[in-house]
Amino acid sequence: MVRLHPLHRLDLLQLLLTAMLVSLGLMAVFSASQPDLKRQLLSLAVGLAAFAAAAALDYRQLRRAALPTYAVCLLLLLAVHLAGHSALGARRWLSIAGFPLEPSEIAKLVILVALADHLARAQGREQRLPTLLGALALAAPPAVLILLQPDLGTAMVFAALCVGLLFLGGASRLHLAGLGAIGAVAIPIVPHLLHGYQRRRLEIFLNPASDPLGAGYNLIQARIAVGSGGVFGHGWLHGPQSQLGFVPERATDFIFAVYAEQFGLLGCLVLLLLFAFLLVRLAWAASVAPDRFGFLIATGVAVMLSFQVAENIGMNIGLTPIAGIPLPLVSYGGSALVTNLAALGLVQSVLLRRRLLVYRPEQVLERYLLNESGTVRLGPEIEAPLRA
Amino acid sequence: MIEPGRWVELAGIEPRPRWTRRLHLFTAIVLIGVTVLSWRLVELQVIQGAGFNRLALINRIHRLTVEAERGVIYDRHGLQLAFNDPAWSLQVTPVGLPDDRGGRAAEYQQLARLSGRTAADIGLAVAADLDPYRPLTIKAGLTQQEAETAQERLPELPGARLDQVPVRRYADPEIYSHVLGYTGRIDGEAYKQLRGSGYLPDESIGRAGVEAGLEDVLRGRNGWEDVETDANGVVKQVLALQAPVAGRSVYLSLDGALQKEAYGRLQEGLAKANSKAGAIVATDPRDGEVLALVSYPGYDANAFAAGITQAAYDKLLADPGKPLYDRAIAGLYPPGSTFKMITGTAGLEEGKITPSTLLGCPSHLSFGAWTYWNWARYDFGLMNVLKAIPTSCDTFFYQVADRLGPDALAAYARAFGYGAVPGIEIPGAQAGVAPNPDYKQSICATPGSPECSWNEGDTVTMGIGQSYVLATPLIQAMYAATMGNSGTLLRPTIVHKVTDGAGTVLTSAQPAVVRQVPISPANLEVLRQGMNQCLNGPWGTAAIARVLGFRWDGGCKTGTAQFGGTGVDLPSHAWFVDFGPYNTPTFASATLLENGGFGEYTAEPVAVNVLDYYFDHRGQINLDG
Repeated sequence: MVRLHPLHRLDLLQLLLTAMLVSLGLMAVFSASQPDLKRQLLSLAVGLAAFAAAAALDYRQLRRAALPTYAVCLLLLLAVHLAGHSALGARRWLSIAGFPLEPSEIAKLVILVALADHLARAQGREQRLPTLLGALALAAPPAVLILLQPDLGTAMVFAALCVGLLFLGGASRLHLAGLGAIGAVAIPIVPHLLHGYQRRRLEIFLNPASDPLGAGYNLIQARIAVGSGGVFGHGWLHGPQSQLGFVPERATDFIFAVYAEQFGLLGCLVLLLLFAFLLVRLAWAASVAPDRFGFLIATGVAVMLSFQVAENIGMNIGLTPIAGIPLPLVSYGGSALVTNLAALGLVQSVLLRRRLLVYRPEQVLERYLLNESGTVRLGPEIEAPLRA
Repeated sequence: MIEPGRWVELAGIEPRPRWTRRLHLFTAIVLIGVTVLSWRLVELQVIQGAGFNRLALINRIHRLTVEAERGVIYDRHGLQLAFNDPAWSLQVTPVGLPDDRGGRAAEYQQLARLSGRTAADIGLAVAADLDPYRPLTIKAGLTQQEAETAQERLPELPGARLDQVPVRRYADPEIYSHVLGYTGRIDGEAYKQLRGSGYLPDESIGRAGVEAGLEDVLRGRNGWEDVETDANGVVKQVLALQAPVAGRSVYLSLDGALQKEAYGRLQEGLAKANSKAGAIVATDPRDGEVLALVSYPGYDANAFAAGITQAAYDKLLADPGKPLYDRAIAGLYPPGSTFKMITGTAGLEEGKITPSTLLGCPSHLSFGAWTYWNWARYDFGLMNVLKAIPTSCDTFFYQVADRLGPDALAAYARAFGYGAVPGIEIPGAQAGVAPNPDYKQSICATPGSPECSWNEGDTVTMGIGQSYVLATPLIQAMYAATMGNSGTLLRPTIVHKVTDGAGTVLTSAQPAVVRQVPISPANLEVLRQGMNQCLNGPWGTAAIARVLGFRWDGGCKTGTAQFGGTGVDLPSHAWFVDFGPYNTPTFASATLLENGGFGEYTAEPVAVNVLDYYFDHRGQINLDG
């Protein structure tokens, strides 16, 4: 019998890409705000532990816990409304033993698992409308609670996660088109539902020069920082826009501007490619997942990360409105780092439990070896030692 | 051998990935997204990179104005009168203030508490400032205790800072208050006009006195520095600078000791006369340089330099003594008997009298329906002009004035400087009035009515400096100087010289003749004799000077000027004008005690004390500084 050590199934490439992104993030956080680094390192330690724990945990066990955690998560979000700390006009934080905790970050992962569980249960009924409505019913309550914080950005992440999972999970094209149509109708209404500062952000996005020293300041300063980076950048710790404090919220929302100013176009392309590789690698993980639930976990993480990366970098360079979403793995912020690392750990958990090659003597006759995720045709070079 | 039915795993062989179409689509979207973002980055960092670099430069490099140090003001001997003292000043860099409205309002409240200004006032000043990176002075000249309190608060006040900034200080502020004036912040309306001259909104500007009159000389030229700042306006380094050029030093013609003496004596004399206000102007009849210029009461100019509070300013405005009012150059008073030399000049020059013409000096005379009295209620008998001046006979001059008529009298008054603003360098000097019938009409409440037309009574009383004649102490001093220096009316000047920082004299006072008064030397000598007799003659109204111990020789004239219309019963204004020494005068002065009563009893002792001081110290006073 030939049995592989489970660690051999660990996706080292994903680990490497993650490590590189986190390292770049630490460099950027250090240059943006040195006192924040210590805290970020502490969060990283917690995040690595979360990563390891998530990887070690059999992800299939999560299915049983999916609904209870979902319920606890809703309670936490409710607690934020009642007892949360506010910053910049929004209540987002809870203090847990002195540490600020952002339940909306953890909620991302919990909703992901809940949605994956729901869609996995609906295997074979992906195209049905109740499946889609069920997914929406799961995603809507936390999204609304977060929208009321108000935190438009994170609510948008939830929407993207839900739609992305439905799409990749095989929902009916017609239903998805209908959802898109409803969204298109809703968009003109959105500005009326937004809080003053959110509407302002949207206006500023459409015309940043309308208020250069007020709300448009962030956008303009971030863009100046990115642009002045040029091809090669000013060098680590040397970007005047970030070092002299012109880039606002430079350790969190606008960390990309800080990074771009210091490392220039070349550094930015490296960062983009790292993210692209990581996302494709997550899609690959989905493609080799041993079961439907694992497939949905991996796609969910990929969708969640890709949306956040696109939105954050987009707002830093003026392609998308400012929405207060951190850059995954890079921005300062403990809850987000731990959540994202735990999510990647979950994908590793899926990968650790994939079957590399399965031999069933009764199926050898057909010269096909089946596993749950597909069929593998054996060549003669493999067949021989098997028979031995 | 592998048992049938058991799962077996083989190393290194991956299951065939099951890429669904939608998973492919997702990958494609990721790659398209990366391409779009990359293209945008190329656009920003390569195509527009240079432009953004320039914007980043504009962001952090700021040209800040460096204020020039204001010129120092000295007396003629180099005694510092106005100078600059480094003091803590509370400043705010607007860009460093909190971004949210609530935070700002809270900070304005804190700053208001520290500075004594109102929060609204501070908010307006910040809003009006054009360069948010330039530190704006909220309050200059903090006391040590105020500075310490502010220092403790600074950590909670983003954008605020303390800086050592020179603040204007005045030595003996009350004594020199009207001469030097004061500096203050430019107020909003005035700034609109001054912006073109390169003034900063919180810069101090001369608001009165020499500070205002010589603003251009004292101000200097502001420099600049290009600094790199962080987003809160905190300067990180200075990249280039153009040093400011300090303002020039101004040496006034004043003699500090004489000024102090005059102020003190006036204060003393006023207290005795139960009067509240007065003025002394002393000048050198040879060149018109003003040696003392006192207006009482003075005020504390240092309170203005540090930014006066509204309450303190209101208190000054409400003070019945009107301390802000410069009586020496702007106070208009009837000259009374001190005017009689002008009437005499007119009479002699117009041929209405000769030095030997004898006119009666009865206790009263009637002109038309009105009767006018001499100051003494008995008949002095016949006298010529030489006796009429020392005795100050009103009825004598009524007759001379009646012969002359108002226009001739006014012409001679103008020749002596009445009715024209003296060209002194201090703003606010008044012209006085040499009246004629048209003038009476112009100030009359009901023009055209009978009571507005000039009558004989107006003419005769004009002959003794009443009627509508008005003069300032400065005009009177220049008139006295003209009597002293053989009839040359000089332009008064208070600036002795102007030097640059190295002490090089840039300009020095040159005597400027306004005009030669049309009077023959012989006639002038008669009037000068009359003024001398005033002091030395048996009938001299100023003979009391000798009793007071006055040892020198010269000429003088007392005056007791009534004023106001019917029903006003305030004491007369007391005047004393003088020059000396008699033959080659080097000193002339005019002394006024508002509501001081009789000139010989109240103004004269003050003037005599000042004269004594002058003659005791004239070697030093006339020494060039």
